Amino acid sequence: MLKMQNIRKSYRTDTIETHALRDFSLEVNEGEFVSVTGPSGSGKTTFLNIAGLLETPTGGQYLLDGQEVGNLSDSERSRLRNEKIGFIFQGFNLIPDLNLFDNIDVPLRYRGFNAKERRRRIERSLEQVGLSARAKHLPAQLSGGQQQRVAIARALAGEPRFLLADEPTGNLDSLMARQVMELLEFINEWGTTIVMVTHDPELARRAQRNIQIVDGQVSDLRQTIAQPEVAIA
Amino acid sequence: MFELKPMLSALWRNKVSALLIALQLALTLAIVSNATVIVKDRMEKVARPTGMDVENIIAATYMPIPTDYDMAGAVIADLDLLRRTPGVLDASVTNQIPLSGSGSAGTYFNEPNQEIGGENANYYQVDSHFIDTLGLNLIEGRNFTPTDEHVVGPNERHHSEVAVISKQFAEKLFSGESAVGRFFYAGNSDQPVEIIGVVEQHLGAWPGWSRAGNVVFYPLLVTDNHKRYLIRTEPGQRDAVFKEVEELLNNRDPQRVVQVETLSKNLERTYIGDNVMIKVLSLVMALLTFIVALGIIGLTIFWINQRTKQIGIRRALGATRANISRYFLVENSLIAGTGLVLGTAGALIINRLMVSEFSQPTLTLPLLAVCAIVLLLVSITAALMPAMRAANVSPAMATRSV
Ligand SMILES: Nc1ncnc2c1ncn2[C@@H]1O[C@H](COP(=O)(O)OP(=O)(O)OP(=O)(O)O)[C@@H](O)[C@H]1O
Ligand SMILES: [Mg+2]
Repeated sequence: MLKMQNIRKSYRTDTIETHALRDFSLEVNEGEFVSVTGPSGSGKTTFLNIAGLLETPTGGQYLLDGQEVGNLSDSERSRLRNEKIGFIFQGFNLIPDLNLFDNIDVPLRYRGFNAKERRRRIERSLEQVGLSARAKHLPAQLSGGQQQRVAIARALAGEPRFLLADEPTGNLDSLMARQVMELLEFINEWGTTIVMVTHDPELARRAQRNIQIVDGQVSDLRQTIAQPEVAIA
Repeated sequence: MFELKPMLSALWRNKVSALLIALQLALTLAIVSNATVIVKDRMEKVARPTGMDVENIIAATYMPIPTDYDMAGAVIADLDLLRRTPGVLDASVTNQIPLSGSGSAGTYFNEPNQEIGGENANYYQVDSHFIDTLGLNLIEGRNFTPTDEHVVGPNERHHSEVAVISKQFAEKLFSGESAVGRFFYAGNSDQPVEIIGVVEQHLGAWPGWSRAGNVVFYPLLVTDNHKRYLIRTEPGQRDAVFKEVEELLNNRDPQRVVQVETLSKNLERTYIGDNVMIKVLSLVMALLTFIVALGIIGLTIFWINQRTKQIGIRRALGATRANISRYFLVENSLIAGTGLVLGTAGALIINRLMVSEFSQPTLTLPLLAVCAIVLLLVSITAALMPAMRAANVSPAMATRSV
């Protein structure tokens, strides 16, 4: 599903150059649920952004679904994001001016579906996250957990092969976090590949596989599993 | 693909600033379209043909000092001298100077002994050289001949049996039928005047008069206390002749006061107010349009800055750069469209006031539409640069900022 080889990413500001990812290699198989942990600033979000085609790497090779994505144009990358990838963000990232229905509608419109198809998908995904009754509400009228479920519904409505989540439970209390986690596990059971960045060791353990990023590189896996507390230090 | 429905609901949540820009555009349209009518009207007025070779005509007015002056004799001698002067094509005597703002007018009828109705016209007393001197275009009938000319004293009852009139006046008197060979009557007189010729166009002494263009020429020389000559020069010779005229006339007969002017100067003076009006209103329109464009640029930049996060989210969810630019352009067009619809109503209301209170011309729908389209284009152009910049927001904005 995802294959990264020797990916490098550096950010250059006027004075300093930060190497966010160095010689980063990773493979994620179809249908896997992978959790990503690591200290703050270690490059987790950078990895997720490159995986989700939000940023381009400075070097290295990235195959998404067998396709080399390094040379794609901006609009081809937009189309891939739209069709294959679902995003869930720590801050929910709903559009405050739009009600839930219209929020979920945003990527479906870019996809070019007709109104009937969009409505069908929106209603179904709202139902999946248990918020059908709230379709006309604005994001600000919902609790954090509910907002994150809407964000998940938005990601699900496009039926992506690949779901990327950056600390999806970071802003939620533990009860809501568990609900969101259960929802993700449910989605994964239906075949969607999930990569989730988290600081929560308990949630990280629930994934099929946990990788740890330290200083822009994947650190040794066995060590990560043996000493999970170190990972969140 | 245009996301109209969600765009409208998002706009509705920001309605105050959207409405302010819409109102600004509405006001601009209302003012600009009404100013355009006035400017257009004035420009048409200024551009009217005078019917004359204005560029090459000099006018000289003189007043004899002695009271028992032989006016008729002086006119013959002066015109003879002027016509023989190098650079002069022709010269003529007249009671008034075209475009000068001072002249004579009468009321005319096509039946004898009428009291009411009639048409007003500007009348000239001239000689048989007049039509050629001014370069008027005789389109029907014949020119005056020396035998048509009559000399009358200042206190004699004077009456001419023939006249040449302007086409505009002929149409008023005989509603489209040929005027040559027909008769008209001055005032409530019962003495017919035969029309022997029709000239295409002549604006007369007062171009600003509501009847400007109604003109009658009589072949008469009234020997009153002053006379005027019109002198047409060869192209390019006007200024050279202008310098000589006063001296020529004074040398021939020093017992008089001579004053020389050009018709170009008269024409310029005639339209000075109109030209100022055109310039001022054009400036106001340009300024208003510029200010509204700045307002739109400002608002679009402000909104885009406020929504950078949202742009990043949309990009992450699959919006192309074109989708983002288009979103802001369509949004801007919706605001502009609302403003222009309101402005159309405002423009028509203001114009009704302008027509009834200040007798300004009516604002036609095509002209209003042109103004609205121009403002729509201005507003789209103004939004273009910020909208293009919005497309540069990185999709990583969705994950990088909180
Ligand atoms: N746009 C940028 N410009 C410059 N440096 C950046 C930029 N984005 C990230 N970095 C740097 O790259 C490094 C990796 O950042 P990244 O956001 O991937 O860390 P992270 O593992 O997600 O951290 P956290 O757990 O705090 O979210 C950090 O040192 C960060 O400061
Ligand atoms: Mg991060």
